[in-house]
Amino acid sequence: MPSRLKRIGCSLLLCLVSSVALAEVVVVVSAQNPLAKLTRSELADLYLGRTSRFPNGQPATPVDHRENSPAYLAFYREYLGQTPAQVKMHWSRLIFTGRGQPPHSLPDSKALADFVGENASAIGYLDDAHLDERLRVVAID
Amino acid sequence: MPTSTNACGWWPLIDRTAPANAETDRTTSKRSWSHHLVEPVVLFTGLALLALAAIWLVTLNLVERERLAADRRAALLAVDMAETYEAQIVRALREIDTTLKLVRYSLDDRPPHETLEDLRQRGMLPPALLFEVRISDASGSIVTSTHDTIPEQDASPAFEQDGMAIGLDHQEASGEDNRLAFSRQLADDEQDESGRATLLVDASYFVSGYEQETLGEQGVLALLGANGTFLVRRSGDTVRTGEQVDHDALLDGNSALDEPARVRVSEWDGVRRYTVARPLFEFPVAIVLGLSEAEQMGAVEALEQTYFRRAALTSLIALCVLALLGRLSWKLRRTQARILEERLSHARRAEYLAFHDNLTGLPNRAFFSHLLTNHMQQARRYDKPLALLFLDLDRFKAINDSLGHDAGDELLQEVSRRLGQAVRESDTVARLGGDEFVILLPETSGPSQITQVANKILAAVGTPFTLVGQEFRITVSIGIARYPADGEDEQTLMKHADVAMYHAKEEGKNNAQFYSEQLKSDSLERLALESSLRKALERQEFMLYYQSKLDMQTGRIIGMEALLRWQHPELGLVLPKHFISLAEENGLIVPIGRWVLYTACRQNVAWQKAGFPALSMAVNLSARQFLEDGLLRDIEGALRATGMAPELLEVEITESMMMLDMPRAVGILHELRKLGVRIAIDDFGTGYSSLSKLKAFPLDTIKIDGSFITDLVGSASDRSLTEAIIDLGRNLGLTVVAEGVESAAQVDYLRRKACDQIQGFYMHEPQPADEAALSMRRRIDGAFPP
Repeated sequence: MPSRLKRIGCSLLLCLVSSVALAEVVVVVSAQNPLAKLTRSELADLYLGRTSRFPNGQPATPVDHRENSPAYLAFYREYLGQTPAQVKMHWSRLIFTGRGQPPHSLPDSKALADFVGENASAIGYLDDAHLDERLRVVAID
Repeated sequence: MPTSTNACGWWPLIDRTAPANAETDRTTSKRSWSHHLVEPVVLFTGLALLALAAIWLVTLNLVERERLAADRRAALLAVDMAETYEAQIVRALREIDTTLKLVRYSLDDRPPHETLEDLRQRGMLPPALLFEVRISDASGSIVTSTHDTIPEQDASPAFEQDGMAIGLDHQEASGEDNRLAFSRQLADDEQDESGRATLLVDASYFVSGYEQETLGEQGVLALLGANGTFLVRRSGDTVRTGEQVDHDALLDGNSALDEPARVRVSEWDGVRRYTVARPLFEFPVAIVLGLSEAEQMGAVEALEQTYFRRAALTSLIALCVLALLGRLSWKLRRTQARILEERLSHARRAEYLAFHDNLTGLPNRAFFSHLLTNHMQQARRYDKPLALLFLDLDRFKAINDSLGHDAGDELLQEVSRRLGQAVRESDTVARLGGDEFVILLPETSGPSQITQVANKILAAVGTPFTLVGQEFRITVSIGIARYPADGEDEQTLMKHADVAMYHAKEEGKNNAQFYSEQLKSDSLERLALESSLRKALERQEFMLYYQSKLDMQTGRIIGMEALLRWQHPELGLVLPKHFISLAEENGLIVPIGRWVLYTACRQNVAWQKAGFPALSMAVNLSARQFLEDGLLRDIEGALRATGMAPELLEVEITESMMMLDMPRAVGILHELRKLGVRIAIDDFGTGYSSLSKLKAFPLDTIKIDGSFITDLVGSASDRSLTEAIIDLGRNLGLTVVAEGVESAAQVDYLRRKACDQIQGFYMHEPQPADEAALSMRRRIDGAFPP
């Protein structure tokens, strides 16, 4: 009994933590990138390999967090409505049939902030705690 | 009643049609089936079957074609897809092999994890999302990995062979083996155990090209290991790993390259599939692709269902239309048949009417003529004589005229019934028209038998009738002609029977007479008479002869009897007995009788004016004349026109005329009496009237028939009868006249018996008026003969 209670308690805590984290995940581009906003489907197209360009025609390089990291989970659930398994299956098909490669994954938020901040074509996501002057938050609607 | 059956039901006019029918039976039966074909029921059932056969043949053919086409499409599609899959697998395996080779090549003095990290950062490793790369040492311990690996020991299979080892990655912790491991030895030296580079990827990666649209829920994509283990197999959304199947059977059952795939039952789940299984050339695995037959043919089956539904609908419509047409046609047929039947029955009715008498239902003249011809042929063939009886009702005209036509018709019907009952079944009774009947006796043995039949007929007809409430008797005269003795053709036979019938009439009616050659000559005379009788009056060919009556006491002529004669231009003088019955029949008796009355009265007056004493004038009335309504008017008219005293006129009627219709006769006689005319009974003694009935009649004179007088001297019975009549007359206060007196002996006898008057050749024979006047003068001047 106590162990089960503990497990339930842990799950509740995790939920709370992730929901807090979720609220803080934002989509970012380099401050040099004029992109101000994207629709959800435009964002999904970029992250699911359906396009490699921004709506304005500029080339785009999406980057990911590590699989199963809190930001990764939150981003795909919140913005793309996809579970990790679904994402994996999607890329599995694309890679197998030779039609694309998944976004490059970076080890942590700092690395991601650095990468996006230095690349005008990059697009990423991270906790708003990691925002800095090199990044611009893209409004998603 | 032989012929009355004919009246009820029509019998075939031509009997000989029966064998002819039998003959045509065979040909009609031959034709019958082609006839049946056009029977609406047969025709339209046949058409319906044809239509159904056509519809379903076309449908089944179409379905078969569609099925074959779909089968071929699926088989080709399976091969096509297998080739694509093979290419994808080969490319994926080559990429993996390349990665492993790259790792082996890149390893140097640095720690292995740095080398891996370096490769990763340069993007030379496959995406970490799917692929894990490990390096393990010779003992199998994992040295490093791109991922945070749980096991310490690399459990991936290590095949003792050159090249890339492929196998399921057994993970003992989770018990799952849903990843595939690809590994290569790090050292080229095969002798020593060395470390290994391993690449792990989800087994589902190799079946992620599964397209639901083409492979469906029951299709299969699979990688088969060399040992008969499915490295991975996917059907629909289900992905399995590690299933064991018969490797060789799966590969051996495969069709040759570029050939359409065959349908096989999959060993693992029992589903029928278009299956392609191909070992890869470079790697120790085989690809398997299967398309579910049920799914591939599903579209065709749906199409089939559509075709069948359409065929069913078309069949239904065709059946409905044909049924409707059939029904219409059947109705039309029936209407035609009914019209035909109506026409036929109308024709039958018309034919019946054409061959039967309306009134009695007996065969008519035309039909009888036909029957007679037939019977004559039969008689000739079988040498059987037949007899023809020609019947004419006596005095029918008088009855018809006095009682009306309805009574006459009723009488004819009754007579026809009686005739039918009087003859045998095989005999034929027919009505020729008016009061003429004929009877055909087809089988006769001889004259005696015919006479017997004739007597039976006479008796049957002679039985009293009741008509319009009155009892009646009618008689018939029968003429008999025999075939072939009396005539060999129909016309002759009929004519001769007719001649015999007239002879029967002349013989006093109510009797039957056989034809004979003698009659023929008489009848020729009669025929001539008939044609010239009509013109005799206007040509003034009639004349009166007069015979005197003498008073027995004084010997004086006291009266005359007017006797009609016909001065025929060719035949000479014709006596009344030869033409009176004829005149009665055709009605000429009335104008002739009138002429006689006028002429006799005028002569009487003329003689008085010439100085002769007032003589009585006797005039004979015929039966028809007596019953004629105009008689009294005619007598009155004659008396008035000539100015003759009524008591001088004496009308003579026969006994039989009085007996015919006694009450009426009595009435007429009373009327005559009122005019003052005297009444005499002629030919008394020959009739059947009882003497007692004489009292009922207002008579003045009895005339004893000449036949009694002729044999008066020789025959005792005639003598006694004559005496009885004389006594009776005297008792009744009547004048008795003896006719046909031819000898002095007779005169003596009659005088002794106190007969009142005599008349006969002995005194005077009948003479024309001028000769009679001469005789009279001589008689008056001369003496009475002794």
